[in-house]
Formats: sequence, C-alpha cells, structure tokens
Amino acid sequence: MKLGMDAGIVGWGVYIPRKRIKVKEIAELWGFDTGLVSSLRIEEKSVADIDEDSVTMGWYAAKVAIDRGEVNPNEIGAIFFGTESKPYAVKPSATIVGDALGISRRKLSSDLEFACRAGGEGLRISVSLISSKAVKYSLAIGSDTAQANPGDVLELTASSGAAAFLIGPEREAIAVFEGAVTYVTDTPDFWRRDCSRYPSHGEIFTGEPAYFDHIVNSVNILLTDLGLKESDFKYAIFHQPNGKFPLQVGKLLGFPKEKVLPGLVTPMIGNTYNASALIGFARVLEQARAGDRILLVTFGSGAGSDAFSIVVKEGVEQVASRGPTVNELLERKVYVSYSSYAKSRRLIERSIGW
Amino acid sequence: MRSSISIFWRRKDSYYKVLLTRCKRCGRASFFARDVCPYCGSSDVSIVKSSGRGRVVSYTVSYFRTDSNEEYLPLVIALVRLDEGVYVTGELRDVEPAEVREGMEVEAVLRRYSSDDPYGLIYYGLKFIPVIKRC
Ligand SMILES: [Zn+2]
Repeated sequence: MKLGMDAGIVGWGVYIPRKRIKVKEIAELWGFDTGLVSSLRIEEKSVADIDEDSVTMGWYAAKVAIDRGEVNPNEIGAIFFGTESKPYAVKPSATIVGDALGISRRKLSSDLEFACRAGGEGLRISVSLISSKAVKYSLAIGSDTAQANPGDVLELTASSGAAAFLIGPEREAIAVFEGAVTYVTDTPDFWRRDCSRYPSHGEIFTGEPAYFDHIVNSVNILLTDLGLKESDFKYAIFHQPNGKFPLQVGKLLGFPKEKVLPGLVTPMIGNTYNASALIGFARVLEQARAGDRILLVTFGSGAGSDAFSIVVKEGVEQVASRGPTVNELLERKVYVSYSSYAKSRRLIERSIGW
Repeated sequence: MRSSISIFWRRKDSYYKVLLTRCKRCGRASFFARDVCPYCGSSDVSIVKSSGRGRVVSYTVSYFRTDSNEEYLPLVIALVRLDEGVYVTGELRDVEPAEVREGMEVEAVLRRYSSDDPYGLIYYGLKFIPVIKRC
C-alpha cells in the first residue's frame, strides 16, 4: 500500500561479530561437495563469540542507531526485537536492550518471531506507529545467532549479526517510507520445534514455493500499488539466505545485478537471518544520495515477505558518518578454526559441577 | 556457580551503564555512582552516564580458573582511563592478549557476564573492546 511519507529513518546501526570462519573449512570437515559450496556463493561467515548473543548484538546496533539519530533514548516509545535465536524462550530481549540503553519505561516492547522476517515486521509496525503519531520514535531490531545442526547444509550459511533502525517523523528522517506490502502464507519450508536446538527444513520447499514466490508477490503488489517500475529504483536489497538467491530473484523481477550487489553482504558474512536484508539495506544507505529510491525486501520462512519502497533525503551522508559503517564492520575480522567456532557457538559444552 | 538474582537486579543500572558521580562542590568525577564525593565528602553530587570510551592504561592477563569461568579464559583485565578522566577496571574482549597495547582506544559494550546454566538467569553487563570507530 501507499504510505503517507510521514515516517522515516532517523538513525541506523549494524553489528557484525569479529570472528569469521571459512565456509570451505566447514564443508571439508563434513564431506560436502565443493561444487555445492561455490554454488552458494558464500566465502566466510561471521561467528558470535561465547559471551555474545542476539541481545548483546542487538544492543550494539540499537546504540549506534540512537547515536546516529542524536535522539534522547527517553523519547523512544517502542522497541521491537525480531529474532529466531532469543536467549530466553520466555523473557523478552527487548526489555533488556531497553533498560541497558536507558530507553523510556513507557514503551511498547516485544520480541517478534517469524523466522528471518520478524525484524522486517518490526520495521513495518514502527512505520505505522509513527504515521499514527502513537509514539515519537520506534526502534526496530533484527538480531540473530543463527543455529544449525553440525553437518547440516544450513551450517554452511547460518551466521550472526544485528541491525537496528530508529524510525521517527519525516522532518527528522534521512529517508522516508513511500510504500509497504506484506505477503504471507502457511508454507512448510523451515521450522524449529519447541525445545529443539536446531531447525529442520522441508528441502524442496526452500526455493520456489517459499523464497521466490513470496518475494515476487510482495514486490509485484508494491510496484502496482505505487505505480512504479524496476527502473525507478537505484538499489534493490533482497533477503540473503545465500549469495545466489538475491541475484536470481532480482533477475526474475527485472533488477540487474548492479542494483542488487551494493546491498549483498551474505558472501562476506553468511546469512544473519533477521539482520540479513537489514544489514544490506544499511550498507546501501551508507552509499546512497538524496533522491535515490531503494527497494528493501525481507523474507522469512513459514512464510512471508515484506517489500518497502524508501526514498532517500538530504543529510544521509552526515548521519552515516556518526557511526561505524557496514564496510568498517566487514573489515574488522579475525579468522577462527572450526574448533574455536564450535566452542564460541556452544557446539561443545562443558558439564559444570561434575 | 549461582549468582544472586536480587543483587544483580538492584545493581542492574551500574552493570548496564558506566555511571559516574560528578561533584558539584569540587567539580571532580569519580567511578561509581554514589551519594557522596570520595574526594571532598560533599553530598551535592549528580550521577552522569559516561560515554564508555577511553584508553588502556595498563592490563593483566588472568588464567585463574573458577568453577564456571573456563570458557572465557584467559581473561584480559584492563585499567581504562575514560574520556571523562576517571579510571575504571574491566574485562577487555575482542583482542588477543598479545595484541593489547597501553594507550589502545576502547569502548564499553554489553556482553554476557555469566549465566545460571542450564535454565537459570543470564547476567549481562559491560565489558571493553577496542573501539570499532572513533566518532
Ligand atoms: Zn567533591
């Protein structure tokens, strides 16, 4: 649907943990065909350290978003924490981040779960809250330490990272939301049962009926609603389960590689789930100019996709300079071995008290 | 090792933020948040939040093992001079012990301190890391 252009991005922040593991090392350990690895187009993935989790990474991204927006945290009236790897099954991550950042106690605050698109839904809800003037600022966070069963093909891609967007009134924003469409159905492509440590996937459902169908539909409805076409957009960011799908879906929709590559971060850090498309979007904002129109498309298994049309305003470069850029976070890295990764991600655990 | 949930909750603000006591009489700032200035004894003080940024003055590497800290070892414990001129100690992460340098710029970030595993509370608090970007 067409939006009133009265809500926009006041600040944003990203966090990528410094550890990286080469995907080739994981593939060799578990006997994957090297052809599969190169077809995924992921070189390495980010690994959260042993004292990091969705809360700590989301905290960093949100802190940078608030610093960039130069907003008093006490004026933030809502926090939505999108994750599928929350540290507690019951006890909100949003309240920990809220208190740690000094955000107002008078706030809406929830953890949202919809596989990889809960962060995008937080963004959509935030835009509505600002448009209806229910709150002055709203914080939408996507953060995950994505889990994968050791040896599962998911282990080649599942990684860790966070992104946060501070949404506020148009007059303070460096980019405004022009339109948004959400498209959801019941699709059995990926799930994790209660009390299960690792997710399962309905192999044949992953591509065509899930990722491609939902994204193509949300984007086509958005373009029709807004009366826009591919050539009206300078950049397109799609959810990034691997380095291949975003380019393929872009091609299907008529977006050339040049518009997709600036926001494609998965080849360097893996799939950060709820942060995946949002980190790509942050990277695009950090190179965008006033007047650029950006297509942002999330996807989450189960399944659904949000498509947003965003128009960049004056002042984006100045706000970008107030915090670490995605490129700076991509360069901050140290390689670790599989054993170090296994310890950091608690694939091996000590029994305490024996 | 189980921690006290109520002690943690009471001190939550000082685990989540670097809080300083600024004296309105002598003008000096001190760590941590308290009712009386440690320098002049005045109770005319305000509690202010530090930027959490500063530089490593000195550090030590600890291999001391307790019942449940093995996964974090070795610990780098740094003495940091905050930008506000106040000295604090804290754990330094995201750097190998051999790479720590005096004068290194650091910032405070939220990390896990410990948890009452497997089903107890997770305790979060601030640690230092080398600054990601000097803003
Ligand atoms: Zn004093």
